[in-house]
Amino acid sequence: MNILLMLLPISLVLLGLAIAAFAWAVRKGQFDDLDTPALDILDDAPPGPGARRAPAPREGGDGP
Amino acid sequence: MPVARCHHCGEPVAGAGRQAGADGHAYCCEGCEAAAAWIEQSDLGSYYRLRSAAANRVQAEALDLESWDRQELLDEHSRAVEGGREIVLLTDGMRCAACAWLIDRALAREDGVLDTTANAVTGRIRIAWDPARARLSALLRRLAMLGYRPYLATGEAREQARLSERRRWLLRLGVAGLGSLQAMMLAEALYLDVNSTMPAPTRDLFRWLTFLVSTPVVFYSGWPFLAGMARELRARHLGMDTLIAGSTLLAYFASLVETIRGGTHVWYDAAVMFVFLLLAARMLEQRARNVATAQVDALARARPVFAVRERADGSRESVPPSALEGGDVVRIAAGETVPADGVLLDGEAMFEEALLTGESRPVHRRPGETVYAGTTCRERPARLRVTATGSATRLSQLAALVDQAQNHRPPLARMADRVGRRFVAVLLVLAVAVYAGWRMYAPERAFEVTLALLVVSCPCALSLSVPAVLAAAHGALARLGVLSTRPEALDTLARATDIVFDKTGTLSDGKPARASVAVYAGLDAEAAVAVAAALEKDSRHPIAAAFADVPPRMQAQAVVARPGLGVEGEVECRHWRLGRADWAAARADDGGVWLGDGQRALARFTLSEHPRDDAAATVQALRAAGLRVHLASGDAEAPVARLAQALGIDDARARQSPEDKLARVRALQAEGRIVAMVGDGLNDAPVLAGADVSVAMGEGAPLAQHAADLVTTGPSLLRIADAVRVARLSRRLVRQNLLWSAGYNLLAVPLAAAGLVTPWIAALGMAVSSLVVTLNALRLARDDRKLAA
Repeated sequence: MNILLMLLPISLVLLGLAIAAFAWAVRKGQFDDLDTPALDILDDAPPGPGARRAPAPREGGDGP
Repeated sequence: MPVARCHHCGEPVAGAGRQAGADGHAYCCEGCEAAAAWIEQSDLGSYYRLRSAAANRVQAEALDLESWDRQELLDEHSRAVEGGREIVLLTDGMRCAACAWLIDRALAREDGVLDTTANAVTGRIRIAWDPARARLSALLRRLAMLGYRPYLATGEAREQARLSERRRWLLRLGVAGLGSLQAMMLAEALYLDVNSTMPAPTRDLFRWLTFLVSTPVVFYSGWPFLAGMARELRARHLGMDTLIAGSTLLAYFASLVETIRGGTHVWYDAAVMFVFLLLAARMLEQRARNVATAQVDALARARPVFAVRERADGSRESVPPSALEGGDVVRIAAGETVPADGVLLDGEAMFEEALLTGESRPVHRRPGETVYAGTTCRERPARLRVTATGSATRLSQLAALVDQAQNHRPPLARMADRVGRRFVAVLLVLAVAVYAGWRMYAPERAFEVTLALLVVSCPCALSLSVPAVLAAAHGALARLGVLSTRPEALDTLARATDIVFDKTGTLSDGKPARASVAVYAGLDAEAAVAVAAALEKDSRHPIAAAFADVPPRMQAQAVVARPGLGVEGEVECRHWRLGRADWAAARADDGGVWLGDGQRALARFTLSEHPRDDAAATVQALRAAGLRVHLASGDAEAPVARLAQALGIDDARARQSPEDKLARVRALQAEGRIVAMVGDGLNDAPVLAGADVSVAMGEGAPLAQHAADLVTTGPSLLRIADAVRVARLSRRLVRQNLLWSAGYNLLAVPLAAAGLVTPWIAALGMAVSSLVVTLNALRLARDDRKLAA
């Protein structure tokens, strides 16, 4: 059962990473708007010439 | 001829309308046409495909947005960010996610914009921009041009607090979810060890790890419940939070004791799961209620950005409304909001008091009369001498009155609270008794049996039973288009026995229609209607709606609107006046609309309002649900009687003052009835607050919505009947859940007290009973879909 001694800490580290990633996503406002990004994918019109892309990438942040 | 609808805002295009040559769509006004043209030109045409609700009509009059660039405003409402400043503002036209999408894209195209986020749920737009490259007013002009009128949000500090509160909740939920997953995984290993073959050190290692993982879940994620328990204990009132936090702590500390003692079973997994599920249920419920309050609240508190004050020498300056003092003279342009209460100077003016009364028809004010802050000046500018500012205004006083009335409303002891309180008390007494009993009979089993008793009794199922149903019910209500702003609203609505509609406007469509035409002096009725229609064609006055259905046959020239009197103009080389009797036809004013030439009367139109299309069906559905329907209106006898008859309402009372209405509600309550009130005006605030539960129509006054327990998101009345149905269903489910929990406890507790329940059976029973309760609540979502189909 020695493998447990390795796997258990790894699972704890992963848990810590997952929580840190989630906290980062929440702080960055990835969950502030859950409705609009869903529409982005439906808009297949190419951005017009000279149209500037929105500076902040708005891909939905689905946490860990 | 089918009515053409505006391509942009979906409003019917009056008369011939304007057909845009380029794209062949019909538009109601230049504003909409310009907005649509810009959208197409900017390659944002997908907006029309993506949207699920029509846009706002674009206001033709240009807004004065210059004041948004002023330093005082920026200091108070924006904050410095890297490379520029950031402001949060409100808008009233965001109706679906596509609007937010459009705003994001449109603003991103403007030079100098760093970042934007628009949120259709809360009606807020966050703009970060570089003041060196772009002026805020230019960006807002783009918004206004698309039909989204900007309003000041509640201030930088409150906006930030709102956002960080929401993020904190999300983080709590995330930690609870991830932590429970881990704890469950570790608990699984312990569960699978059925024959206790695991060496004690390994088992203890697993237990201590579970302890480690569940500690942040219980204390960080579960903090709202713990804090709630502390509050309730301080107030000496055992409630839901005590039950929740109590059972979580019980499972947690009992497990800790067992871990230290090396006992047979631990229940960490139950503790964390419980926190996670309850947190999720509470968040769903809160989210549904936040949607209702976020927008309503802020719009109700919306103030004009700046007021134009007249100096002693007649020159003007613009100042923040907070700088106004009694005695100042302010100027209000047409279309602007009155910044403070004041006495009207100079000429007559029209004011729209929708914010106060929910009545969108402008009212007429003469010099010397008082005009209230929050009303909108119509048609022409006005001058006021300020009499009250800030919290002394009638608007603020009404808002305070509403808050007060709500606070004084007797708190409804919620069913689960009542049951929970007794349950906790009884259980604690029982536990002590059982411990004492076993102590005498078999001291070595006393702790184990007491623990099993506390675990198997599972306050969890009991405390889950209500939040789970509430979360499902709020979801179902939101799908129907009804938002509840207060937690106890559903319970009361389910118990309501009487429903009172507080004004005719709630049941009628609010648009005047021609009831009859009387003609004089040889004019035939059809010609009279055609002349009136030509005169009113381009009028924004509500009366114009009564003639909108007439096909245009004649052209009117030199049409002039006379505020408070009517319109006059030339039709087929004759001069006509349409409006009040004393002005148009030299007769005594009788409330009808007269057509004449100033001396002679030629026709008289009687206008009346139609019941809404769904009013009759709603009244019928409500009656079928066993509710008594009443109508208490401030209007005159005849229209009220007509409406009541058309809808089949027996108990209709006309000419009711707010006091009369309140007395009526009180009388019903004295008979032991539970009264639901439906209304949309704030002048009836005492009535809305006095009723047991109140419903405000979505298009009514924002302040009235602030006062109400439930707000509908649209004008449809049928939603009220649906809301009653959902409320009753959820009440039934809560009952079933409580009954199940009670039955389960009646069976399990005696067994546990007798020492017949082993800890693992206790844990299983605890999990199953919670699961049954949750699944039962989910039936609400399914039933709702079935009924909706």
